[in-house]
Amino acid sequence: MKAIQRLSGLIIALFIGISEMTAATILVGAASTDITPRLPAALDGQMQVRIAKTAETPLTAQVVVMESVNGTKSENISVFVTCDIVTVPTELKEMIQAAVKKQIPALDSRKIIVNASHTHTGGVVRDGWYTIPEGVTKVRDYQQFIAEQVSKAVATAWNSRERGSVAWGLGYAKVAFNRRAVYAGGNAQMYGKTDGPDFRGIEGYEDQSINSLFFWNASGKLLAVCINVASPAQIVEGRSALNADYWHPLREKLKKQYGNDLAVLGWIGAAGDQTPRPMYEKDADRRMLSLSKGNYTKGRGNRNTDFSNEDYMDEVAGRIVKSVNETYELVKKDQYTELPVMHEVKSFDVKARVVTSEEKEACLKSIAEDKGDAQRAVAFSRRIAWNQEVVDRFEKQKTNPQPMYTVEAHVLRIGDIAVCTNPFELYTEFGIQLKARSKALQTFIIQLVGPGTYVPTKKATEGGHYSAIVQSNRVGYEGGQELVDNTLNMVNSFWND
Amino acid sequence: MRIVISCCILFISIHAFSRPEMNPSADSFKIGWAMADVTPDKPVLVAGQFHARVSEGVMDPITATVLAMESVKNGKSSAAVMISVDWVSVSDGMRDASDFRGRLRELLKDLAPAVKGEDIMINATHSHAAPLVSETDPEKTYGISLKMMSPEKEMMSPKDYSEFAAQKLAVAVRQAWNSRAKGGISYGLSKAVIGYNRLQALQTGKSLMYGNTDAKDFSHIEGYENHNLNLMYTWNEKSELTGVVVNTPVPSQVSEHSYLLSGDFWNETRAEFKEKFGKNVYVLGQVSAAGDQSPHHMWGTKAEERMQKIMGFAEDGTTGRGALANRRMIAFRLTEATASILPYMKKNIEWNPPFAHKTEVIRLSRRLLGEQDLVDARKEIATWKAEYEKALAEAKADPEKMKTPRWYTSLTVHHSKYRRGESVLERYELEKKQPVLPVEIQVIRIGDMAIASNPFELYLDYGIRMLASSKATQTFIVQLAGSGTYLPTARSIAGGAYGAVPASTIMGPEGGNQLVENTLRIIEEVFSEK
Repeated sequence: MKAIQRLSGLIIALFIGISEMTAATILVGAASTDITPRLPAALDGQMQVRIAKTAETPLTAQVVVMESVNGTKSENISVFVTCDIVTVPTELKEMIQAAVKKQIPALDSRKIIVNASHTHTGGVVRDGWYTIPEGVTKVRDYQQFIAEQVSKAVATAWNSRERGSVAWGLGYAKVAFNRRAVYAGGNAQMYGKTDGPDFRGIEGYEDQSINSLFFWNASGKLLAVCINVASPAQIVEGRSALNADYWHPLREKLKKQYGNDLAVLGWIGAAGDQTPRPMYEKDADRRMLSLSKGNYTKGRGNRNTDFSNEDYMDEVAGRIVKSVNETYELVKKDQYTELPVMHEVKSFDVKARVVTSEEKEACLKSIAEDKGDAQRAVAFSRRIAWNQEVVDRFEKQKTNPQPMYTVEAHVLRIGDIAVCTNPFELYTEFGIQLKARSKALQTFIIQLVGPGTYVPTKKATEGGHYSAIVQSNRVGYEGGQELVDNTLNMVNSFWND
Repeated sequence: MRIVISCCILFISIHAFSRPEMNPSADSFKIGWAMADVTPDKPVLVAGQFHARVSEGVMDPITATVLAMESVKNGKSSAAVMISVDWVSVSDGMRDASDFRGRLRELLKDLAPAVKGEDIMINATHSHAAPLVSETDPEKTYGISLKMMSPEKEMMSPKDYSEFAAQKLAVAVRQAWNSRAKGGISYGLSKAVIGYNRLQALQTGKSLMYGNTDAKDFSHIEGYENHNLNLMYTWNEKSELTGVVVNTPVPSQVSEHSYLLSGDFWNETRAEFKEKFGKNVYVLGQVSAAGDQSPHHMWGTKAEERMQKIMGFAEDGTTGRGALANRRMIAFRLTEATASILPYMKKNIEWNPPFAHKTEVIRLSRRLLGEQDLVDARKEIATWKAEYEKALAEAKADPEKMKTPRWYTSLTVHHSKYRRGESVLERYELEKKQPVLPVEIQVIRIGDMAIASNPFELYLDYGIRMLASSKATQTFIVQLAGSGTYLPTARSIAGGAYGAVPASTIMGPEGGNQLVENTLRIIEEVFSEK
């Protein structure tokens, strides 16, 4: 309790005025745009640099602009942007904000929410992250391209906005699989084997809920749907080609039903420990996939079947679309043209994960090993930087033993629902806490509205391995709890009446 | 590992060798279905809660569904008769002298001699609104006689109900067996989000079964969840659907506090299946490993209840825990998930699949109690025995009180808690003489799939281990094919929630590991047979 009181003192008041609790008329506009980088392009999301020479699918940005108006007075303008990229570095967000501001000066650019679908087969957006070869699209050029494309799409959505309506609903689809296997010794492993005798269970929880938020124009045409799935888009994460992952077939299916200009925003829920690929019973899932595609050949023993293929992306897309369609049919009778809308953006500090001297030494050892081999030093330059960052943090702790990490979080109330964002790859259990303790009827959580880094649970930290080790975390489980508590304070303040 | 190897196998039956030789040219696979209504016609004790409940009517019938399968290959017959009953558990002699399964097997010797006792796999769906099936005197269980609970209405005792149901089930088994005809099966994996882990870990590190996830001290859901839905479809020679085995990791306990008898969500599920797939289609419900699961929503309940209302499931105006809307939603999701793979199930019928059925009694290490467990148990006894005796004395002093319906509720809770304490002390003594417990488990191989049963309320992690390492393409775990008791994981014992405490368990992680390893071994054996 004391810790929370202390924390509340640290909240930096970057408060943006909350609209009054009255129902406002909704104006809605939507658009989408292509953000496929010029080829060849480096791909973001793995330790080693990969160069794409082909684009298997377009990469897009999908936009919704929602304005609430009371009479002639504009009370709030929120902009939602989903990009088919792995993460949203702060400099990219700022470039987008600046580009949009240039197009629409009236807009409060801090209320632009940009999230990443977390595709691992998008262009590199993190400058300095990889060594990019000559002739390959430069990161700064790509960032600039994204910012320009997104700003034009926001302008299109803004200029086309009209009186519209909104509805929301909850469905389910099996998409998320917790990817951390736990073993008899208490250790955990991301994507660890589950068919060995020492496997003891899956470390954490899964969230199969599909939250959908629909926007219509005045004539009843569906303009956009925001789909909240607690599983990142990384079915084909290991490829060396551009690909929007499962969001591509999903968008194609929905466009076929609702029109080519439908904007489909992929909001990834708290899913730091999740994957869209099965972790066990793979043989049965593989068989069902083959049966559904009509190419089944009998036989057991395909437990290690790779699900990184088009068929499985299509399957996952189909499951989500089915759920969205079911929800759509139910909630289209419960649309709102006037409803309370509030949007708050706050920055607050949470405890950063402290680096121990043992962790620093282990990082130094790894750096020495990688640098000791000329080829490895180039191939694993990202890993060297990854470890070096920990060493640097340790050095800084000498003067600041408990560093803090500043989080920017958006919270919206749209009628009876809440939408809250965080910049992390947030483990699902934190998301469940947010949903369970929220006063909203339904709570949408969007992770990766920012530069990322995993926030693991205490249990995962004890289990170790990638995503729960100090190299993977700027914020640990204590900071994760502070993030939850602060976000909930924001959410629940909207329901105090 | 050594412990596992030393687990001596008391009894093995490979049914491929247990039937008379037949004409080798007559290889066949036959299927028969039957159903029995085992609803009592008098008030009975309702099983599943600490307090006694005298049934006050019937919400919907209590049923048993029987699927008989016989495979004849090279003149050798092997069979499996699977039975699912809308009960909380099926007594098998493991926990006490009550042995419904044994009695049924005994009756079948005369009624259906071709069916061997070990052919029978019987599981409970875990309805908490169904009759208590027990040989034990109710007074020993609840601390008062049936006459005191229901002075004006005659009740059917658990023992009498047990015999009534055994007779009915034996007839149904004979009917299913005798009606078997050439047919085929197809099996598939679908998904349905209907079961939720009910253990809530708090910030303190302790856990609760059913708490408030909207409280500030809620940290996370303690364990995992499984939303896989295993389905086996049966077909007649005309490729018409005759029935579906529905295997799902969720016990049927939406109406767990009901005083009206009910098969819970299986009632709505059966109705939905008949509506969607045909009025003659049977539904056999099995609960996969789900000791820590329930059909109750642990979070996100407001949004779920809104959807139930929009879908028209809240006809009686109620939503929330225990509401019929939940049962209708579950039935809807099960039916939709079953329908979603039906088209390619129909295209992939196996008419004469490899078949084997193995029944073993294995010996599993008990969860050994410690001194602290005894201290805690003695405290429980001291507290609750006094409360029980006080309540009993008050009741005897004022017999008029007994005319008030449900007057016995708190008295029987006190008694159950007192008995739980005593059971720990009794177990402590028993463990000295019997550190291991014989347990019947079964594995049926049908084609490339396996059905593996155990008698526990098995925590999900054990089931996931079985699924992950099974040699079968797809594995149906069937829990509560016996008299139950929770089998918790180490992490749950550390959390200390109901379900993981000594009084709720006979086995712990050591026995759980042995169960997993033995189940996997038998699956491997049935898949190694030629």
